Amino acid sequence: MAMRAPLAIAAAILVLGGLVASVLPEYYLRLFNLSAISAVAVIGLNFAFGYAGLISLGHAAFVGMGAYGLAILTTAWGWSPWLAMPAAIVATAALAVLIGYPLLRLRGHYLALATLGLNVSFYIVTSNWIGLTGGTNGIARIPELAIGSLALSGEHRFLCVALVTLAVVAALAAMLHASRHGREMMAVRDDEIASEMIGIDVTRVKITAFVLSAICAAIAGCLFALHVRFVAPEDFTYAHSITYLAMLIVGGEGTIVGAILGAILLTFLPEWLRFLGTTYLLFFGLLMLCILVFLPTGLVGLGRRLRLRSRRTPPPASVGVPEMTS
Amino acid sequence: MADFIQLLVNGLAIGSVYALAAIGFVIVYSATGVVNFAAGQFVMFGTFAGVVTLINAQLPWSVAYGAALAIMALFGALFFITVYLPLRRGSIVTIIIGTVAVGIIMQNAALLSFGSWPFRLPSPLEDRVVNLGGAIISTHALGVVGVTALMVAGLWVLFNRTSVGIGMRAVAQDLQAAKLMGLKVNRLLALSWVLAAVLAGVAGLMLGPMWFADVNMGDPIALKAFAATIIGGFGSLPGAIVGGLFVGLSEVLGASYVSSAYKDLISFGIMILFLLVRPQGVFGEKIQDRG
Amino acid sequence: MNVLEARSIHKRYGGLAALEDVTLTVAKGQFVAVIGPNGAGKSTLLNVLTGLAMPDEGQVLLDGQTITRMATNRRIRAGLGRTFQHGRVFARLNVLENVMTGAAIRGDLNEAGLRDAAMEIIEQMGLADVAFDAIDSLSYGRRRMVELARALACRPHVLLLDEPAAGLNSGEVDQLIERLTALRATHGLAIVLIEHNMGMVMRLAERIFVLNFGCRIAEGTPAEIQADPAVLSAYLGEGYVHAGV
Repeated sequence: MAMRAPLAIAAAILVLGGLVASVLPEYYLRLFNLSAISAVAVIGLNFAFGYAGLISLGHAAFVGMGAYGLAILTTAWGWSPWLAMPAAIVATAALAVLIGYPLLRLRGHYLALATLGLNVSFYIVTSNWIGLTGGTNGIARIPELAIGSLALSGEHRFLCVALVTLAVVAALAAMLHASRHGREMMAVRDDEIASEMIGIDVTRVKITAFVLSAICAAIAGCLFALHVRFVAPEDFTYAHSITYLAMLIVGGEGTIVGAILGAILLTFLPEWLRFLGTTYLLFFGLLMLCILVFLPTGLVGLGRRLRLRSRRTPPPASVGVPEMTS
Repeated sequence: MADFIQLLVNGLAIGSVYALAAIGFVIVYSATGVVNFAAGQFVMFGTFAGVVTLINAQLPWSVAYGAALAIMALFGALFFITVYLPLRRGSIVTIIIGTVAVGIIMQNAALLSFGSWPFRLPSPLEDRVVNLGGAIISTHALGVVGVTALMVAGLWVLFNRTSVGIGMRAVAQDLQAAKLMGLKVNRLLALSWVLAAVLAGVAGLMLGPMWFADVNMGDPIALKAFAATIIGGFGSLPGAIVGGLFVGLSEVLGASYVSSAYKDLISFGIMILFLLVRPQGVFGEKIQDRG
Repeated sequence: MNVLEARSIHKRYGGLAALEDVTLTVAKGQFVAVIGPNGAGKSTLLNVLTGLAMPDEGQVLLDGQTITRMATNRRIRAGLGRTFQHGRVFARLNVLENVMTGAAIRGDLNEAGLRDAAMEIIEQMGLADVAFDAIDSLSYGRRRMVELARALACRPHVLLLDEPAAGLNSGEVDQLIERLTALRATHGLAIVLIEHNMGMVMRLAERIFVLNFGCRIAEGTPAEIQADPAVLSAYLGEGYVHAGV
């Protein structure tokens, strides 16, 4: 029972992903790859926000840390990508622990603004620390991923890597969701005080969620660096952080399927709107707003509502009422 | 010394603009609980309202400024109806992303209307300068500081001496109680947004001659306004002023004396420091379970 | 040795003395009630005992060990438990999951073990028919039962209950009294009950502490309290003694 959902998700990703990949033209394959990479990042954001309720507007900074970590190790230090990836991920996780302890004492929009500040600071540092990051010119000529002599070049081969990674990350996320640790995170989001009152160490849970999200972000960042083979500060701005959050909300926060759907939709939507010419961003914004107003539980929520047509359940009400004096 | 005075005045001028943007942001947050991530775009709209009335319509100064502010007031009301009212029952994140989406809409609407080339917005004080002990100071910068001081005084009168302003404060403190007292709550909430839009408009009109009128100017301003409110204290008007001036001064002085490249990092670094050490800012109330 | 003790607790909020030199002792397995008018400081006392508020002076001891400044979650793991005045349940988890999060305090259980432990308590509390239901589909009274079940899943040996009967209809109150009576008989479980429902208090409590304006004005058995003039004038009113339990 415990392994059913994770294996199902992994299988679905691989099978459906493979099917889609076999019919898509080359140009859309590139987008599909980018969707898969974003999906990995958004599954991470789901831990921090969807489960634990931490509003992070700095997720792209962790993606960037993974990407730059890999870029620097492979270009300046000549490491193999297979070694550089775990190193970059571990380094990002360590930074997440350091940043998390002071930052996670904040809540709500204070946390949102602090993480926003984090992302902006990351942009300023990567743009100006030319010796390490190449400044606004970025780091180019990142080596290709290869297994021995087989180079994983081209969209098709890279997609195999991306899909396998996504499948593994999604499966692990599903395992977490069904475990006591997942429930703990959701409990902390719902009611921190009640969580403390059943012995949950709220600080530890938040840091864990935050670090897990950073790890997923770093994995996505490494994949991005290996796919595009070029990293620059503009790829990891706070606008990207907001996009990741929007992907999660649109897909359905708190769900892994929602994270993936949202990533795909918001990666392809700008393309589909491209026929609108210069007005397409405007319509993108309008569409986002409409979705937020009319579909606050996202695509997954819509699916649920359609399925539960016969048995109407009211939306969950918060039972966390402030204490009165007695 | 002369250089320092020049920098000081410029810093105060920029800081005044940030302060006005921050005040608008704080008014909306206090009254409606919304963290308006499109706050920077409001200022940009103010600048471009000036472009429409001053450059395109070639209206005389006072008429042009009045018309621009009227446009902003209308925009504030429109925003209240089309964005705030539909979104207000959503979660914090929904509102954050919602206001970000509106910001995107605003920015692209401006881009489509005006193109991406920056405009030079004129000032009634033109390019005149005064000489203060060897320092060459633009009269416009002095004008900005003066106008801001006047507006702050006006706001003080509004919030402390008029029933409308007191009503707005009541709504900000306790919405339910205000309703029970018979206050026309929706009207006061709408007024908060209108006021915020007008303040952003003033900020934009004053900023235009100092920078450029550029459709992309919104985001950097928003970030500075956020930093200002965090440093000054999130729900506090005096805090917004102090925070705005501080951010403006640290930007200008930091660029000159520390590093031009990392000047923005100074403001954000200080903002993050405040968030970690004293999240309520200089003037804010102690936050227990905010958010 | 007392299982829970508050010694000379002082707690001020600005100029207001919420608690003034309050001492409370709970012996092992004892059923204690804390009563008093609204604003007397009862919830503040619970907050100090559970670590949600720090006293300005005084100590809190659990099994003889000082825990005055200990973090809340550590106190719970040391055997303290608490429910809240309006019932705080996890809205996104169903009933079983709520209770499982309580049971998770026991590190020795795997997922299946947690499920079994939770179901056992759910059955005891009469919630088996809604075990897989969403929280928001339950009545207020049943939600509070879920909260109680979750607190019990932590296996406390001192359980603090903050007005568990508030907001319940009479049928639900009867059920609650049944549960508390059963819990009272549980070996080794001490209970501290804050309540306004005097019938429940007088029936269940072995010892009663009375607070008024942050001070302890009386302490004793139910009979003693009902006869205490200070309590009568402050809280119960003259008519109470004649009305009976």
